Amino acid sequence: MGACFDDDERARLGVALDAAVPGSAALGAVDYVERLLTALDHDPPRIWASPGAWSTSTDPGWLELGPWERHAWAQRIDDMRASYRRVLDGAATDVDRRLLHAHACEATYGDRAYGGNRRGGGWQRIAFPEPLFPPARETTG
Amino acid sequence: MTDCDAIIIGSGPGGATAAEVLTAAGWSVIVLEKGRNHLLDLQPPYEPLAHFANDEIALTRRHLLGPDPLLEPRTYRRTADDGDRILTGEVNNLPSTVGGGGVHADAKLPRFREEDFRLRTERGPVDDASVDDWPVTYEELEGHYAAVEQSFGVAGEDDANPFAAWRSTPFPMPPGDDMPMAVVSSAAAERAGLHPYRAPTGTNSVEYDGRPACVDCGFCGGYGCPIHAKGDPIAALQHALRTGRCELRPDAYVRDIVLDASGRRATGVRYLDLTAYPEPRLVELRAARAVVVACGAFETPRLLLRNGLGRDLVGRYLTYHFQTFTVGIFPRDTGGERGRSVTHLHDDLMIDTPELRAAASEAGLPWLRGGVVEHGAGPGPIDEAATYPRGEAHLTSMADSALRRRLWVFTIQGEDLPQAQNRIDLDPSVTDAWGLPAGRVTYAPHRHELVASAYAAPIHEAIMMDAGAEAAFSATSPPQDDIDLHATASPLGIAPASRHVMGTARMGRDRATSVVSPEQRLWDVDNVLVCDSSVFVTSAGYNPTLTLAALAHRAATLLAD
Repeated sequence: MGACFDDDERARLGVALDAAVPGSAALGAVDYVERLLTALDHDPPRIWASPGAWSTSTDPGWLELGPWERHAWAQRIDDMRASYRRVLDGAATDVDRRLLHAHACEATYGDRAYGGNRRGGGWQRIAFPEPLFPPARETTG
Repeated sequence: MTDCDAIIIGSGPGGATAAEVLTAAGWSVIVLEKGRNHLLDLQPPYEPLAHFANDEIALTRRHLLGPDPLLEPRTYRRTADDGDRILTGEVNNLPSTVGGGGVHADAKLPRFREEDFRLRTERGPVDDASVDDWPVTYEELEGHYAAVEQSFGVAGEDDANPFAAWRSTPFPMPPGDDMPMAVVSSAAAERAGLHPYRAPTGTNSVEYDGRPACVDCGFCGGYGCPIHAKGDPIAALQHALRTGRCELRPDAYVRDIVLDASGRRATGVRYLDLTAYPEPRLVELRAARAVVVACGAFETPRLLLRNGLGRDLVGRYLTYHFQTFTVGIFPRDTGGERGRSVTHLHDDLMIDTPELRAAASEAGLPWLRGGVVEHGAGPGPIDEAATYPRGEAHLTSMADSALRRRLWVFTIQGEDLPQAQNRIDLDPSVTDAWGLPAGRVTYAPHRHELVASAYAAPIHEAIMMDAGAEAAFSATSPPQDDIDLHATASPLGIAPASRHVMGTARMGRDRATSVVSPEQRLWDVDNVLVCDSSVFVTSAGYNPTLTLAALAHRAATLLAD
């Protein structure tokens, strides 16, 4: 996995994510953000987890993006990287803070295929039942 | 030399139904879909793909079903007084993918009632609105309703709804399991004198047409079905493809409808092949007999306007369902994490009663109609979390879960009266990734919608309290109060959240006041058909999918005859 942040930045980002959703860093929120920002370093890109072992899919892991979808995600990720740079530089705007909040929520309560919600801890915290048809989760601990 | 008998633009429930009918009649068709294919294998035997999971991130946060608003922005303003736009991004985004809006819908498939096609005659005109009769009656459409119910596979309960229109055939399947809280809210609605019933739903309650029964995984409304228990529109597409006379091309964005020298007949289309990047390849296809436009009531007028077809009427009379949400917060879990999002409805607000007449009269209106009311569950945990504040209060709110685990909601799909100034047109400066003008919505509700909403909200709040809620409140979409607050803090945003978009290429008997004929042909280019909810004359107060598919079934049948 490619890295976007050094250890110090990861620590500071964890503090910022925890300020949005307390406990999100311990559930893998920094990993979630870093995996999203490096999603296009992988083939297929790690944007959409594909169905898990319950399915008849012959290609578990990640769904392919079309070339235009890849184009849009490249632009979106560039914008996100700029947002996180401002967060780490102490120059966050309202838009940046909303992005941080959204990612903290996704990392805490989304499927753990994406790097957050470690060991299902986010769902356990709110008594959310494990899904019947989860995406593949081979990349998470 | 032609490529097929008919080109169908759009693979949602309208286009899929037209493809099923035309191929069954022996026509060869090519279905062009702007979006990606996540639905079914395009090689025989056309089995469903396994691309969908119970995954809130992919489906609700990362645009798996498209359109990506960075590629295809849309714009919104309430009136021309707002300037060119007040929002750029996501506006009424139905999926742009093989299967269209059917993929994400929770598949509530009620029929309209007889009165809905004769509103001008039955109820009369309303000032500042264009309330007209449809050029087709329920009686003419009934057989097509039955055919589409059979194709998609609709589960329902005969005679359960005392207000329903007559039927010539029973539902193909019995209803699925009730959501437990819907039983509670239905009982409270009955105590209030209302008539709730099990919703007709295009989700298998038993194995049907080679697809399994729903197992109530809970990821229904807004999600593709992991096991394809939802029949709309994969069933119709499979039926068409299995004739051997249908080809389906995803990633095919139709730019032009090509006319002959007379300008009165379409000979084909030109589309952008979006598998090519960074310059999409322009491909021309020729149709021997017809071009069917089934892009949905947002994209269809955009295509027609871009091509100068249909005159100034195109895009006008845009209607949604004016949605009123009455939220009940209960002291216990409502169990919405499993089930099909909505299992019960009531229609009472669609019926002409002395109470509604009195409320209308008090407001200076001739009549009021609400809409079908869905008894439903709350959002997923990420959507819930995003509505709560940052910091420690977030944890308290999530643990309390007033807006998900303890929530139950009545959603009125309120009838929205047609107004000429409500429209979709081409934004003067915003374009999509391929340089084509973005679609722009100009929309503000008629006073009728606001009065109907205000009438219904306290009734539903009382029912929620009687059902055991400890608090109840109501809100509308689009919001009618502080727009700045909703722009940043409301999960519904400032534009209409309804995905029920209708009326932008109205059908009629008079070419001076309609875009398409009663057979859904463009008046000026009569081998171009429109087969989606664009043709609706009024919005009624019912989920539009079954009616748009029945209309497509009728129009395609008339074409093939």
